[in-house]
Amino acid sequence: MNLATLAPRLKTPAVIVALLAIWQAAVVLLKVPEFILPSPLSALEHLFLPQPDANYNWGVHIRATLLEIGIAFVVTSVVGIAIAIGLAWSDAVRRLSMPLFVFVNSLPIIAIAPIILLWSGYGLATNILIAFLVSFFPVVINTLAGLSAIDDDLLDLVNYLHATKMQVFVKLRIPNSLPYIFTGLKICSTMCVVGAIVGEFIASDKGLGYIIINSQYTMDSPPIYAGLMLVSLFGVSLFALVGLAERILMPWARKGVEA
Amino acid sequence: MTGLKAAAAALFAAALTAGGASAQPMTKIDFQLNWKISGDHAPYYVAIEKGWFKEEGLDVNVMIGQGSGFAVQMVDAGKAQIGIADAPVPIEGRAKGANVKVIGIIFDKHPNAMYFWKDSGITKPQDLKGKTVAVPASDGHKVMWPAFASLIGVNAADVKFVNIEPTAKPAALGTKKADVVFELYTGKPFMEKAVPADKLGVLLWADYGFNAYAHSYIANTDFLKSNPEAARKFLKVVYRAWDFTLKNIPESIEILSKYHPINRDDFVANLTAVREFFKTDRYRNNGIGYIDPARMQDTINIVKEKGVEIKTPASDFYTAEFLPNPPYKFNF
Repeated sequence: MNLATLAPRLKTPAVIVALLAIWQAAVVLLKVPEFILPSPLSALEHLFLPQPDANYNWGVHIRATLLEIGIAFVVTSVVGIAIAIGLAWSDAVRRLSMPLFVFVNSLPIIAIAPIILLWSGYGLATNILIAFLVSFFPVVINTLAGLSAIDDDLLDLVNYLHATKMQVFVKLRIPNSLPYIFTGLKICSTMCVVGAIVGEFIASDKGLGYIIINSQYTMDSPPIYAGLMLVSLFGVSLFALVGLAERILMPWARKGVEA
Repeated sequence: MTGLKAAAAALFAAALTAGGASAQPMTKIDFQLNWKISGDHAPYYVAIEKGWFKEEGLDVNVMIGQGSGFAVQMVDAGKAQIGIADAPVPIEGRAKGANVKVIGIIFDKHPNAMYFWKDSGITKPQDLKGKTVAVPASDGHKVMWPAFASLIGVNAADVKFVNIEPTAKPAALGTKKADVVFELYTGKPFMEKAVPADKLGVLLWADYGFNAYAHSYIANTDFLKSNPEAARKFLKVVYRAWDFTLKNIPESIEILSKYHPINRDDFVANLTAVREFFKTDRYRNNGIGYIDPARMQDTINIVKEKGVEIKTPASDFYTAEFLPNPPYKFNF
């Protein structure tokens, strides 16, 4: 690989490094107090080096958050696509239940989370549920749009050939909806991260959201920024993974939004 | 019963009695904190770490909190048997039919305080008139403000409130987004990060006659009826742990930091501020946790002034019968 092919690939990392450098310089030169904005180096130090006055146990908290995000994403994807197929299968079901899904989706999570906590306590399951509630709707809506967006001529043709409803779904509607599903999953991937962190914010005793909220309480800023860096890294990585899966599963369509 | 089953049952019974000599059956207690972890939660982890709960046959599960209202709901619903809440909240809950009672006090002095920049000219709570105060909507300070305002002769409506996120309090004062921030005295070390210590003014409501009880242990009334011994043992252990914690602040924070990602220096400062609320003659003479009937009546009166109908006598809202005997007297 020569420099000419390598250069475009390095563009994104170069921008990130440049932004971090500007941030570092600004904090040092303008003498910004640490509680308002710590330098990126200080945040990274808190992440990677042992601190004299705190033991953040990053490993435990990273694992907790990753587990929540991972399970929430898988569950939301499977359940969301299944709901969409159910809705597309029968007009009657769609008419009856669509308002319910819209209703659930428009509940402000921050307002209902304390109610969920009262029912099920805090922890892994609660945070997965919150992440699901935040992120399932884009999967449902996009998949549903894909399942319905079939060329009428094509439908006429398969009907003329006496295809069963099942055959229409398996051979026509589902393959046709793949690009839509991936769009939904991409939105879901970042929303799951948001949902898991919101859950940890509201109540938890583990996870990056827990470190962030605890540190906010004591104005201990560097771990907040370290936590935020990790959280966005997870979001970007999951988004990129979905993009990768899309390219592998749908090699014919190579123009999706890439991370 | 087949021979095999009988043999298994006999074996099981033998195993039970063998173990029973040293380990009595453990009583499970879900313990609901009032808020996210702060220095005053160290005693519970001290008791866990040192095995004091286990010694008394208690298996205690500490649950992170969401405010006093949430703690009262959890204890009322039996999802937690014991919890921590600001005394007026369980009193109001009980008046409205919740199955909760106050069974012990944590801070003897009320920790409500106000913070401001010294150069703002504020020297007494009465100077709040016409100022902007930042405080979360559901914050205990805001709930108590009308009672405190009438106590100090200020019209409660003469203060303009701005709703903020609880964790944003120090930043709101540091950046002068508000003239005054209402925050517990225990938050002082964190305020000092945002405002230099020599420029930070702080006034304790308790020093201006505010006599209500604040942080208290509450319990589910059904639990108290069915398991009074467990409640008694729980309070014995937590007050023992308080006694230890107040005497050994750095060690206690060290223990807490094994369980939660906290900044130890900050929490030692926080707990040192907390200790001030235990240094009273009442606690010195009667022991930590003592419930003074007159102050409890004052607290109930504050709830009454809010417009809550109180139909039962004060004794219905609290009980002192589970406090340790002899009490733990914290000596300074």
